[in-house]
Amino acid sequence: MKNKHGVFLVLMIFTLIAAMSACSKKNVPPPPGYGGPEQFGQGASSGPGMDDAKWRELGINSEAEKREFLDRAKAFENQDVYFDYDSYTLTDPAKKVLDEKIAFLKRFPKVQVTVEGHCDERGTTEYNLALGERRAHAAEQYIASSGLSNLKLTTVSYGKERPIATGHDEASFAKNRRAHFVLNY
Amino acid sequence: MSQQSISRAARTTSVLFLVFILSGFAQTASAQVVELNINRPQFQRIPIAIPDFKYMSPEQTQLAREMSDVLSNDLNFSGVFRPLDPKGFLENPQAVGLEASEIKFQDWSKQGADFLVRCSYQVQGNAIRLDGRLLDVAGRKLVGGKSYTGDLRVWRQMVHAFADDIMMMVTGERGVFDTKIAYVQTVGGAKEIFYCDFDGSNPVQVTRDNSIALSPSWSPDQSQIAYVSYRDGKPKVYGLNVSNNSSYLISGFPGLNITPAWRPGKNELAVTLTKDGGQDIYLVSPAGQVLQKLGVGSGSSISVSPDWSPDGKKFAYVSNEAGNPQIYIFDVTTGQKKRLTFSGKYNTSPAWSPKGDMIAYAAGDGGEFNIHIIKLDGSEDHSLTSGGRNEGPCWSPDGRMIAYSSTKQGGPAIRIMYSNGTGDWQLTRQGGAQELPDWSPRKNRQ
Repeated sequence: MKNKHGVFLVLMIFTLIAAMSACSKKNVPPPPGYGGPEQFGQGASSGPGMDDAKWRELGINSEAEKREFLDRAKAFENQDVYFDYDSYTLTDPAKKVLDEKIAFLKRFPKVQVTVEGHCDERGTTEYNLALGERRAHAAEQYIASSGLSNLKLTTVSYGKERPIATGHDEASFAKNRRAHFVLNY
Repeated sequence: MSQQSISRAARTTSVLFLVFILSGFAQTASAQVVELNINRPQFQRIPIAIPDFKYMSPEQTQLAREMSDVLSNDLNFSGVFRPLDPKGFLENPQAVGLEASEIKFQDWSKQGADFLVRCSYQVQGNAIRLDGRLLDVAGRKLVGGKSYTGDLRVWRQMVHAFADDIMMMVTGERGVFDTKIAYVQTVGGAKEIFYCDFDGSNPVQVTRDNSIALSPSWSPDQSQIAYVSYRDGKPKVYGLNVSNNSSYLISGFPGLNITPAWRPGKNELAVTLTKDGGQDIYLVSPAGQVLQKLGVGSGSSISVSPDWSPDGKKFAYVSNEAGNPQIYIFDVTTGQKKRLTFSGKYNTSPAWSPKGDMIAYAAGDGGEFNIHIIKLDGSEDHSLTSGGRNEGPCWSPDGRMIAYSSTKQGGPAIRIMYSNGTGDWQLTRQGGAQELPDWSPRKNRQ
């Protein structure tokens, strides 16, 4: 089954990353600058090595639940919340995506989440850092207002430093104006 | 000065050097020799003759030309002088006299020079003494003279210092020849902080965080650079001791810690933080202690990129409280804020001029960004650039030049132009992308 291979691969990557970060925890830099589209938001590729105890900490007690989690985690991380130019107002489609995030967090309330705020390349560097923070903050506030308690959400703005699309057209710009969710479990 | 005392001076000042007024010269350093309004576009540069320096001992004779070239480049860079081509000089430079009584002023006048620079130097072991003189060709007299002694290795800084002194003697204000320009440079997929000399020479990489480093800001004494780095995963403000490249955390609160700006006259910085939820500008000590939350933000608005007035009482910053980014001025003493820019929908990156009368900023219009300058009362807003993305302006400490990043010739590079809109040249030539320049203050010296 294709899915099983996928899970195995993801677990392998976990183990690799865990091994790498164990070796040189202090010196591990955050991924530098622009790492290419495949570096971000492509599946649940973060987090320490997972053993059964750690899965149980997340409230996941069976293989079926684990599969459900990994499936839904992929969508959780891959689906970005988009914004208009120079705006951090949540549009209706943005709220719909956030409602799905809330559903995931209700199902798996123990995960730690980083909300990244990103901008397109058109604005200036420093203003975009501030704008990206407002975008991440808007998404975080929307989730927080859903009534979920004990959320482990943090935000970070990357401004225009880490675009996911590298084109210089409106289609690329639109993809880059986003709040992106990363699971750290 | 005796040979012994020269070498002792050199030993004790391996990097620094000593400056003194040439004995027997009436020094009128503060007297303005000519009426200048160099900020007018129609200003005519002053023709100046700089023959090769005269060597007083047969050592390091190649420096005769190298030093005159450095001086010539400096004075050309200033925008005030037009160094004459030495090929047209009538006399063998080693035969030109040193004292005013020995100078053939009429010849220099015929060659078109308003001023003549006559320098001599003496090398003894590892020490060098440079004697520089500025002569007024029409007035047939010495304007002033200075001597510099120190280690041979710092001859270039000595020449820069004399160039600064010539600027002082002629315009009443030192040049910027001991200043540096810090900027962000891409290194592989990372962004690091670099700085170079005012003329683009000697680029030095000062951070190796292998992360995203942004927004370098020089301390008023040129000894520290504050900057933003993601080396810890989140944007935090760090300080960097320029003399030994050691860095330290300044501000690492939860949320954003960005856009540091050292406050003139005080050992503190303005930074944008979000530690209390909303974005606001705070005063922090270099050790990261919050001294004051300034309350410039309102609700969920953006408040970023402070840049201080020269007296340290106000700063310009960017706020979007009117719906899009505009430049505002905040008075720290009274707590009052005032909107400065009203035209256009995207005005960011303010830089307060060293004379205090203007703000430079980046104005976005469609896909283009241009450097504008505007008076503090909002009048005379005009663009100094056209074409491409021109961003992140900063002023030279004498206010004559503006450095900025531009895509005019391909990838983003740092460029410099005169603030009167004339001249424009590329400062950084090392490939990759450079952005967010910050021009250091001058060094303090006697």
